[in-house]
Amino acid sequence: MATETPEAPRTAEDPQPGGPTPGRRPPGPRATAAARARSARAARRRRRARPWLLLAPALLAVGTLLLWPLGRVVWMSFQDYGLREIVSGRTNFTGTDNYAEILGSSYLWTTVLPNTVLFAAACVVLTVVLGTLVALLLQRLGPFWRNLTAGTIMMAWAMPAVTGTYVWIWLFDPLNGAVVQSLGGLGLLDPAATNWFTGRFSFYAIATLNVVHHGFPFVAVTVYAGLLTIPRELTEAGIVDGAGAWQRFWTITVPSIKPVFLVVVILSTIWDFKVFVQLYLMPGGNGANPQVLNLGVWSYVESFAQRQYGMGAAIAVLLTLLLLGITVGYVRALFSESSGEKGDRL
Amino acid sequence: MRKCLRRSTAALVTALSLTLAACGGGGAADDDTLTVWIMEGTNPDSKPFFAEVGRAFTERTGAELDVQYVPWPDAHDKFTKAMAGGTTPDVAEVGTTWTAEFADAGALADLTDRARDAGLDEDMVPALRTAGTYEDRLYGVPWYAGVRALLYREDVFERHGLDAPTDWPELREVARTLKREEPDMLPFPVVGDGEYVLDAFVWGAGGDLATRGGGGWTSAISTPASLRGLEFYTSLATEDGTSAEAATTWDEADLVAGITGGDVAMAVAGSWTPAAIVADSPELEGKLAAAPIPGPEGGMSPSFLGGSHLGVFNTAPDQDLAWEFVELMTSERYAARWAEQSGYFAGRASLVEQAAEEGGPLVAPFARQMRDAGRTVPVTPAYGQIQGKKTLAQMMQSILSGRKSVEEAARAAAADMDRSFGH
Repeated sequence: MATETPEAPRTAEDPQPGGPTPGRRPPGPRATAAARARSARAARRRRRARPWLLLAPALLAVGTLLLWPLGRVVWMSFQDYGLREIVSGRTNFTGTDNYAEILGSSYLWTTVLPNTVLFAAACVVLTVVLGTLVALLLQRLGPFWRNLTAGTIMMAWAMPAVTGTYVWIWLFDPLNGAVVQSLGGLGLLDPAATNWFTGRFSFYAIATLNVVHHGFPFVAVTVYAGLLTIPRELTEAGIVDGAGAWQRFWTITVPSIKPVFLVVVILSTIWDFKVFVQLYLMPGGNGANPQVLNLGVWSYVESFAQRQYGMGAAIAVLLTLLLLGITVGYVRALFSESSGEKGDRL
Repeated sequence: MRKCLRRSTAALVTALSLTLAACGGGGAADDDTLTVWIMEGTNPDSKPFFAEVGRAFTERTGAELDVQYVPWPDAHDKFTKAMAGGTTPDVAEVGTTWTAEFADAGALADLTDRARDAGLDEDMVPALRTAGTYEDRLYGVPWYAGVRALLYREDVFERHGLDAPTDWPELREVARTLKREEPDMLPFPVVGDGEYVLDAFVWGAGGDLATRGGGGWTSAISTPASLRGLEFYTSLATEDGTSAEAATTWDEADLVAGITGGDVAMAVAGSWTPAAIVADSPELEGKLAAAPIPGPEGGMSPSFLGGSHLGVFNTAPDQDLAWEFVELMTSERYAARWAEQSGYFAGRASLVEQAAEEGGPLVAPFARQMRDAGRTVPVTPAYGQIQGKKTLAQMMQSILSGRKSVEEAARAAAADMDRSFGH
């Protein structure tokens, strides 16, 4: 393979065995055309094969590390797969029973799915808005304050999700947490009669704070990098034309770095749909309060906590499909926007 | 450059083969080495103990002992992975609530005849033997266990002339008095995510979690007797206010943290907790006392025994050698020493009896609870599922947060359990 590839272009032009040989009288025009077409086809085939050859090692790695396990999950999702099947190595196919049970349960439609979608939507919107505001702030600051601010928000980003979650739990701890204690000290509530972890809304409000706090630095840094690419003349022209900050943001900044926003939104959406640690570690989030599970935690509780690996796999497949659908939607939006822009320019 | 490449390739190959060798080192070890998995942290320093056991084992059988430590939180996943990959150890410490599940999956060896021939049968703590028996065959030999009983602040009780309650009305009265006299403390927290505390009150009232009939297991959590227990236990929080809203999302670890922090006056806590509490907050030294969990009209309410069995895996090439180890570990000498070092009770009834008679004030009440009123949860893999799903915690949280009445919540939990039992 290694010796063949670099030689490929030259051999492609070599005459075929049994064909005309150089130095002789030129053959008839028809024979030459046929030979040329043949060798051109062969060359094209090689050219087409070459990228695949170069990609092969990467594809092999991705295939074994990603596609094979993915296939196993799909394969398991059509089975009633438990510890007994693991030990014996036998299969136990039940067709689409797992999917029927999940899609037929009102728990999915009234609790898990709304929790997942609304929580992710809230987190994405808040993360992007806050991140963009911080990016705009960074743009206006002098070097010292910019580095200080960027360094500080990086700390929030660098904190592991588990540690961050425990900090938020402590802050909102119903008995001794700083928030409850200070509100109780002001006489606004009775600490003994308060537990924000039991309510669906308050539970998710705390989780949202946690996720947004952990996620906005990434958006801020990425958007700030995008802001640096906007030519200063555009903004100056806007100022000369008398556009306010609000107007300049929507007519100059946003259109210029739209792709950056799309990437940030896609990534945030994927992350926020599959939030697990931040919910599972919160009091009641491990399944004790069924009102607050999202798809990720539900999948874990069904598969690993109850040892029904088939059911958990089916939920995971559904979550993947949902995410895939949303991502395809975003990507199509991105491409239609960019081709539209090209059209405008022409 | 080329030399360097070759060297790094060689290093890679070596590393890979080492990894492979390490992966294969589970059950398929040499014939003269016995691989054993032990949970980490039960005994603060178990290395000297197992060094000595290893010497005794080699003396007895000529084989080497290879003890590997497994942290509790990862243990179940690690067992599952080992079963999937065929790398299970020869012998392992298995949590008492997992034994039936692993036996049902076909991973554990039947030890009924060996235990009988060795004469271990008669001296097993009954509840632990029940937990290790699946479909009338023994798969786990009781090794050690802990029990939950009433733990209270003796100094606070003395200040108000209170004694440990001996029946349920007294328990309620003591908790009410504490609420009145000690407004800054939680008299008796009712925890939302503490199934084993709840069990004592269900069993105490004569109820049960599930019962076994001809057609398998059926939930019993919504029977009238169980409801009486539930009603009493939750009403302490919902009517008498002896708990706090915060406890709705507490588990037993939070409860222990509450006692350690000096916030809690009386609670149901494990026999292994007093030592840890005093170690974390030395000012509580000598201020804690224990008593069995009272029954509704005196006596004791049964309490859950949680601990470990020793199980032999089917993959062990030399089953006799594996059994030798189980026998050595559960022998009076080593069982007693392990109990002493770890702060748990041995799985042998005679040793528990001894602790009940001769133990100190923070040991004897727990030992009496274990001897006279120890019990275990339904021995079926389906119950592991129910625990994983947190059915009873869901029930408790919906009662404590006022979303459902006791009866509604218990009915929902019973229906949920029956689904897991396959009805």
